[in-house]
Amino acid sequence: MQTINSILAIFYKECKIAFRIFYDVLTIILFFLLGIFIFVFSVGPNKEIFSQIGVGIIWALLLLSTNLSIKRFYQDDYNDGNIFLLHMSGLSFELIVLIKLIALWFFFQLPFIIVIPIACLILGIGTEDIYLILITFFLGSPVLTSLASISGSMNLLNNKNFAVGSVIIMVLSIPLIIFSTGIINAPPELIKPQLGILGGILLFFLALTPWVSAGCIKIALKYN
Amino acid sequence: MLLANNLSFKRGRKEIFQEMSISLPPKKIIHLKGRNGIGKTTFIKVLVNMLFPTTGEIYWNGKNIKKNLYEFFANLTYIMDIQTSKSELTVNENIRFWMKLFSSNIKSKQLEGIFDLLSLDKYKNTQVNFLSKGEIRKLELFRLVIEQKKLWILDEPYVGLDESTYELINGTFRNHIENNGMIFFSSHHRPELQNMDTINLENYANN
Repeated sequence: MQTINSILAIFYKECKIAFRIFYDVLTIILFFLLGIFIFVFSVGPNKEIFSQIGVGIIWALLLLSTNLSIKRFYQDDYNDGNIFLLHMSGLSFELIVLIKLIALWFFFQLPFIIVIPIACLILGIGTEDIYLILITFFLGSPVLTSLASISGSMNLLNNKNFAVGSVIIMVLSIPLIIFSTGIINAPPELIKPQLGILGGILLFFLALTPWVSAGCIKIALKYN
Repeated sequence: MLLANNLSFKRGRKEIFQEMSISLPPKKIIHLKGRNGIGKTTFIKVLVNMLFPTTGEIYWNGKNIKKNLYEFFANLTYIMDIQTSKSELTVNENIRFWMKLFSSNIKSKQLEGIFDLLSLDKYKNTQVNFLSKGEIRKLELFRLVIEQKKLWILDEPYVGLDESTYELINGTFRNHIENNGMIFFSSHHRPELQNMDTINLENYANN
C-alpha cells in the first residue's frame, strides 16, 4: 500500500512540476513547428516533393525535439539528491525509472498528437496517411522517451559535453526511424507486418530501459 | 541499533578512512567531526548505502543492510547536505509530497505547530526558490518530523541556521532520544547534548 502511495505521490509531483514549467513543453512544440516551416522554406513550395518526404521530416523533427528534453529526465533529481530520496522511500531505481518514463511521455510526447496533424496539413500529406502517422507516433514515441531516458541517465556525471547525449539518441533511433517512415510508402499488405515490427521495437525498449537507466543511475551515484 | 564494523573506503587509490567501527544503540547520539574535506559526507554516504565500503559491513538490528535494504530505509531519515526540496514547488506542496511519499500520519495540527516554531508559516505558498538559504535548510529539517523514523542521520544540520532554530533542533534531538531514537550527525559545532559521543574522523583518515 505504501508503495502505491509513493508512486501516486511521485506522479502528482511530476505533474505539478510539469505544469510549472509548461513553457518548456511549449518551446519544444514551437521548435517542432518552426522546424517544419524551415523545411518548407528551404526546399520550396513543391507539393509533390513534400507528400513524398513529409513523413521523414516529421520523424526527424520529432527526434530532434526529443533531444531537447533529455536534461529534464534525471539531471535535476540527481543534482538535488531527490533520486536517492525516492529510493529511500522504498522504491527500487527500476520502478522510479518506469514512473519517470510514463510521466515524461505524457508531458513531452503526448502534446505532439495535436501538432502532428497540423504539420501534416502544412506539408500537404493526405488524410489516410495522417491516421497512419498517428498510429506510428503512438507506437514510436514511447521508444523516443525510452531513448531519452537511457541517454539522460548515461550522462548524469557528464557536465561538459551536452551534445553526446543527442548523439546516443540518434544512433539508437535508426531502426525506429526506418520502420516508422517506411510504413507510408509500403504496399497495403505490408502495413500490418511493419506495425508489428514497430510494436516489437517498442516492447524491446520498454523492457530494457528500466534496467539500463537504473544501472546508469546507480553508477552515477557511486562515482559522484 | 546500528552497527558498522571495520569500515574502510577507497576513492580511486586514495584511502578516505579505514577500519572505522561505530555502534549506535537507542537513546544515543554520535557526533562526527573533522576538518573540511576529510570525508565526513563520504562516511555518511557509506553509512546510508549510497556508496559501498571497500571493507566492512553495516548492520541494522542485527541484519546486514545489503540484504535488508528496504527494512533499513524504513527506519531511516537521512538529511543530506544539499537541498532536496523542489525549487519549482511551494513550501506546502513540498511538504505534502513528502507526507505522501513516506505515508506519514502526522496530524495537520501538529504540522501547523511546527510551521509556527520554525516561523515558516508566512511562506507556506511561496515557491522554494524565493526562500533564503536558512529557510530552505529549515524546510529540509521538516522531514525529520514528517517521516517519524527511529534512526536519524544528518549531514551538517546546523549550517545556515539562526540561534533560535539551533536551540530548537537541539530540543528536537533531546526529545527524539528520549523516545528511544538514535541520531548520527556531522557538524563543526559541538552542541550540549546528553548521551553524545564525539568521533573525530581525522583519527581514522590516512593523511
